[in-house]
This record gives sequence, C-alpha cells and structure tokens, in this order.
Amino acid sequence: MTKITFVQPDGRSQTVSARAGDSVMQTALAHSIDGIFAECGGAMMCATCHCYIEDARTGEASQGEEDLLDCAEDEVRPSSRLSCQIKVSEDLDGLVVHLPVTVD
Amino acid sequence: MLDIPVNEAVTLADLTRDPYPIYRQMRAETPVVRVAQTNRIFVTRFEHTKWIKENPEIFSSDDPMTPMKPAFQAHTLMRKDGDEHRAERMAMQPAFSPKVIRTDWAELYTKLAEDYVSRLPKGETVDLFADLCGPIAARILAHMLGLEEATDEQMQRWSQRLIDGAGNFGNDPELFALSDAANAEMNALFEQVMPRHIAAPNNSAFSVMLNAKMPIPVSQMYANIKIAIGGGINEPRDALATILYGLLTNPEQLEEVKRQEAWLDAFEEGVRWVAPIQVSGRRTTQEVQIGDHVIGPNETVMTIQASANRDEAIYADGEAFNVFRDKHPHQAFGSGPHHCAGAQVARRTLGQIMLPLLFERFPNMALTDPKEVIWSGFGFRGPLNLPVTLA
Ligand code: FES
Repeated sequence: MTKITFVQPDGRSQTVSARAGDSVMQTALAHSIDGIFAECGGAMMCATCHCYIEDARTGEASQGEEDLLDCAEDEVRPSSRLSCQIKVSEDLDGLVVHLPVTVD
Repeated sequence: MLDIPVNEAVTLADLTRDPYPIYRQMRAETPVVRVAQTNRIFVTRFEHTKWIKENPEIFSSDDPMTPMKPAFQAHTLMRKDGDEHRAERMAMQPAFSPKVIRTDWAELYTKLAEDYVSRLPKGETVDLFADLCGPIAARILAHMLGLEEATDEQMQRWSQRLIDGAGNFGNDPELFALSDAANAEMNALFEQVMPRHIAAPNNSAFSVMLNAKMPIPVSQMYANIKIAIGGGINEPRDALATILYGLLTNPEQLEEVKRQEAWLDAFEEGVRWVAPIQVSGRRTTQEVQIGDHVIGPNETVMTIQASANRDEAIYADGEAFNVFRDKHPHQAFGSGPHHCAGAQVARRTLGQIMLPLLFERFPNMALTDPKEVIWSGFGFRGPLNLPVTLA
C-alpha cells in the first residue's frame, strides 16, 4: 500500500492509502481532500488540481504541464505540480503533497 | 446486454420548451436512449456524462458533418481532439488565466459593471436581460479578446449568427448567408486591429496569440476568436439572468446570500440549476458500453449536462434552486479536455463583481411577475427576458 500525506496550508495533515495506478489527484478526490477540485477530470486543462511536491521520485513536469501551471489560480512555485499528472506507484510510498493557499 | 431503447415521442420543440421533466423521466427509466426525432443517443445520468467527456479517445469531439464548419468558416478547436486541440486552446488560455483575470480583467470589469449598472434607471421597470445581461457580457468579452472597437450590438449579433449557423442542421442557406456576413465583418475587424496588437502586446486573447513564441496559424487565431465570440456572450448572459431569477424568486435565500456574501455559491447554484450549455455532442470511435447498453462506432451521443446537474443520485431535490444545498461539483462547465476555458472568468466577473454590485445598487429590486419570464432552449438555455422593477 502506498501512503500519501496531504498537508493543508494551515498545517493540518491527512495520510491516506493510495491505489497504484490512480493519479495523486484521484487519490485526493477519493479521500475528499480539501483544495483539489480537478474540474477537468485529469485532462490537464484546468489547473484546479495544483499542489506543491518536493520529491524527486515524481519526476519532472512535462512542457504541457508547465504551460498550464502558468494558468493556476494560486501562487506558482518551483515545486508546483498538477496532481492529475502524477501516477501513484509503490515507489511513491511516503509522498508528501502540500495544498496551495488561495490568493485573492 | 440490452438493445438501446428508442424514444419516438419526444420532439425538439418539447425539449426547447421544458426539457427537465423529460430528462427526469429518462434518468429514471431510459438513461441511455435513442431519440428518434434527432437520431441521437441521449445520455442523462451524471456518472455517464462525466465519464464520456473524460474519455475522448472513445468519445471524440471531431464531427466532420457539423454545421459548425460552414458557420465558422473553419474547423475549430471545439471539434478537435488531442494535441491539435491542446495547441490551439493553450494559445489563447493565458488571456483567461486567473493571473490575468486579477491583473487586467477584474479591475476593468468592475469599472464596466459600475458603468452599465449606473445607467439603469432606479424606480423604473426594465428588461435586465436585454438592458444589462447581454450588453455587459459583450463588452467584457470585446476587451478580453482585444476587440474593443466592436460595439455591444455587433458582438451580440455576431455571436447569435455564429450560434444559429452552428445549429443549422437543416442546412438552411439563409442562416449560412447570415453567418457568412458576420464572418466578413469579423475578419475585417481582426485585420484592422492586428497591427495594434503586434505593436503593443497586451493580455487580450488576440494579442497573446499573435505574440506567442510559436504562434498558431492566423486562420486558427481567427477561428479561436470566433469560438470565443460564439461561446462567450450567451453563457455569461444566460447565467446572470438565471441566477438573478433564482435569487429574486427565492427571497429568503437572497437575504441569506447577502448576509453571508455567498455570491459565488449563488453563481455555482445558478449554473448547476440551469446550465447555459445544456448538451454536448460526441462521436463514438469504437463499440462501447454505456450503462446496460452497447453502442456501435460512429454514433452521435448527446451528453446532457443539464440533466446530470439534477441527477437524484448526486443532488437531493435537484430540480429546486437552493444556494445552500450540500456542495457537489456540477457539470455546467463540462469535464475532460473541453472543460470550459471561461469558467474562472465567469466565476469572478459574475460571482465576485456583478452580483454584489447589482444588489448593492438595487437592494429591493423585484421581478414584475415571475410568470412573465419565458425560458427557452435545448442546446443553450436561459430566460429570454427578465422584467425587473429597480428599487
Ligand atoms: S485535473 Fe484539471 S489539470 Fe489536473
């Protein structure tokens, strides 16, 4: 079982069991994690699944992902990722995902 | 596996008048059904419509027969899939990104909204649909696209002609003549403003596309702008009119919305309740099972988000307008690769700016008579009028 920890901007955190093959976004939705909306359902078109991940195991964002991150609602950082583009596998056990703060 | 049932009774006229009782019955009895009069398969449950939109390899947007092509004089991104669609959409997307909305459009829209609202005569009865909803939608879109030179009247007329042409399944030459004339006017304006956008790059969609590192062909820029004109006026116009109707016919909810400043919730509920775009078509690329039925390749499937948004499996009492219902994502903006590019702009301009502004200026405005409001539409739906006494 792959465990993933989601950390809210206020520090609240939730560790859940993720199914291999799902995306991190799907894992978040399945566990009703706040802050992941995923309006396009993982088609890499909405950037409402934006999160911050500092973990080399998740690889690099593709050019398409980078382009869409520029359209994200919240502050974009070097660690910004679209959670729909990261596939869960055994290798990602212990992954920590930070949810963004809404800028207004 | 079961044969797809056929519904011989339902007509387009019925659906245009009031589709909701028909959809409710379909969800319960025939959630996947061929509607004989349109020769299309209607899919009305939430889980199916969402799944269809999120699986573009099986359910393609590409429809070679669509009247959209002659209407827009181009094969547009709405009817493309995969990388081609992505390239054209991303060329324009930065103009509608939350960042640009914050830096450019929010301030401008606030100013425009104040302007248009302050023109409304306090104490009198006006048709807010014609006097506010349409014109303000046209004006902000003109700016966002980089077409400030176009009048509200032109923007609205072009939009309607494109829509009428795109829905011209009967191939009426008259309608295509009208959309051709609109295309000629639009093309002339695009040519006229192009040098300005190249000389002074800005955040409008046209300028962003023209000044991109790897620009898409100019013909596709034109097509993109036309798609935005065709799709960017009716929807915010109808959404605004629908939300206003919902709030004005539910005064307790309106009071509570004001108290909590829950304008964004009112926005979401309005578009859930009556989605401005009610249906989207997809073409099957292979044999596929939906629910209990197997559907062959090359069938046109209509995903009815209007119905999904009221699905009993998701929403308790979904037929009612209720801003304070349990939150659940709706499908008014679709899902998958064609998820509405204007969703964020619409939320901010209508939910954060227009609604609070309008009710601040006219806190006691009232519909003259809700029964006078005429609702219409199968593909696009909303009120056709909104007679309100401004107080
Ligand atoms: S879910 Fe829309 S971009 Fe990830």
